[in-house]
Amino acid sequence: MARSRAVMSIYDQPMWKSIDAGKWQLQQCDGCGAYRYPPGPVCDKCLSMDSTWRDLSGRGKVLSWVVFHRKYLSDYEPPYNAVAVQLAEGPIVVTNLIGPEPEGGWIGRDVEICYEPDAEGHTIPRVKLAN
Amino acid sequence: MSLSKVAAVIGVGQTDYVGDYARVRAGQKLHDSYGYAALAFNDALADAGIARDAIDGLIVGPTVAYERVGELLGINPTWGGQRDAMLAVIEACMAIHSGLATTVACIYGNDQRSAAVQYGGPQAMGGDLFLSYVYHSPWGYTSQGALYAMMFRRFQEMTGITEAQLGEVAVAQRLHASLTPHALMRQTITIEDYLASRYICEPLHLLDYCLINDGGVAFIISEAGLAKKIGKKTPVPIHGVGRYDLNRGATSLEPRLLDFYRPAQEKCAAQVYDMAGIGPKDMDAVQVYDSFSCHVPFALEGYGYCRSGDAGRFMQEDGISLNGKLPVNTAGGHLSETYMQGWAHQVEAVRQVRGECGARQVPDCRFVHYNSDVAGKAVSVIYGK
Repeated sequence: MARSRAVMSIYDQPMWKSIDAGKWQLQQCDGCGAYRYPPGPVCDKCLSMDSTWRDLSGRGKVLSWVVFHRKYLSDYEPPYNAVAVQLAEGPIVVTNLIGPEPEGGWIGRDVEICYEPDAEGHTIPRVKLAN
Repeated sequence: MSLSKVAAVIGVGQTDYVGDYARVRAGQKLHDSYGYAALAFNDALADAGIARDAIDGLIVGPTVAYERVGELLGINPTWGGQRDAMLAVIEACMAIHSGLATTVACIYGNDQRSAAVQYGGPQAMGGDLFLSYVYHSPWGYTSQGALYAMMFRRFQEMTGITEAQLGEVAVAQRLHASLTPHALMRQTITIEDYLASRYICEPLHLLDYCLINDGGVAFIISEAGLAKKIGKKTPVPIHGVGRYDLNRGATSLEPRLLDFYRPAQEKCAAQVYDMAGIGPKDMDAVQVYDSFSCHVPFALEGYGYCRSGDAGRFMQEDGISLNGKLPVNTAGGHLSETYMQGWAHQVEAVRQVRGECGARQVPDCRFVHYNSDVAGKAVSVIYGK
């Protein structure tokens, strides 16, 4: 069984570098201001090829969540959760909720991005409940 | 331009799902994907009662190489290519309508169980086609099932559908499989059995997931007038087709989580119903691409079989089994019959319209609607008398 592995196109590399530096950045379109996720060469809203890497605010809201009970990856031991979070900047990302679990429903809860080391010395962005 | 009734299915074929399942589990492997494809093609030719040389179009499934299938089966067509199940049907109709082919063989074979194909983890199938299948792996988020689990959890929050209501899908389809001699899982189950089955990716249980097995499927589609002359059985015309794809925001799951693919299904529904000149009330049975059970409630709402937000109640009270109001996946579907990635659903639709289904036959079956949403690609085909 293999480890998890990030898709690492030439557009993804700057994002993971920013994550390793402890500040997740995404491209903001120079043409219309929309944020892109996953990173890519062109804006799907206005087709501009120009963008600037911006720090995320770190704020988001839980859209949905699951719990894995089957093992697929050597570095993820079930049970563990995955959450879909809509960032304040607009894009939806999938990550993990760490720390205390919400009382009652998870969906709609405010979360903030935090950074954790992985087994290979890199950094992975996750979320915890916002204060 | 309408593709309504320009073409008809004249033959359907399949492999020995039950026998191959037992052989593969016993460690035997008689065929790979190409062998299963060839077995199914020969079965479809016999069903149609035509010779191989009547075939002038060849469309193969995504698990086999087009040229190699043509080589193995000795087919030099005037039109050919590689498509998934539903797009194979539509492309066959398009090729026939345009005059580029007259009789098209659509052929699929898959040795996914004996070849131990993984649909989750680092080797997850489809990553080249659908980035969402692999992009979120750094967070442990992998497998097709997890994508639908995430979607269904939000659907629960929005509509109030319960796990027990979702369980109606697995229970109804298992009942259908119990009446289907060629189905793999034939022991009936209850809602209690469903709820007691273990979670794979919560909120989805084991019994929400499709089977993985070896097999092949083929069907032969001919120009409508020609179909009446060359086939030995009454042809089953294709009354309408529809398609609408949601690609924008696909990897970040926007159309999945924010809209449950509803806009694609509604546009696809409008096209297929308009082309066929009939609507959901006219359907005697529905075949839904069910890699996971939750495809069924999404489809019931998206294609207008019940009101938005009402699928849970509809399944529980009106019923989706042969004993209920709207029989869905009448041979057991991917959950209980065979996982042929939508191909076997076409065979079952044709057999229901022909009236060949024995104990699971829908009485006076005139129209069957097949629909799928694979990663937001909504496709429909209506078969009828």
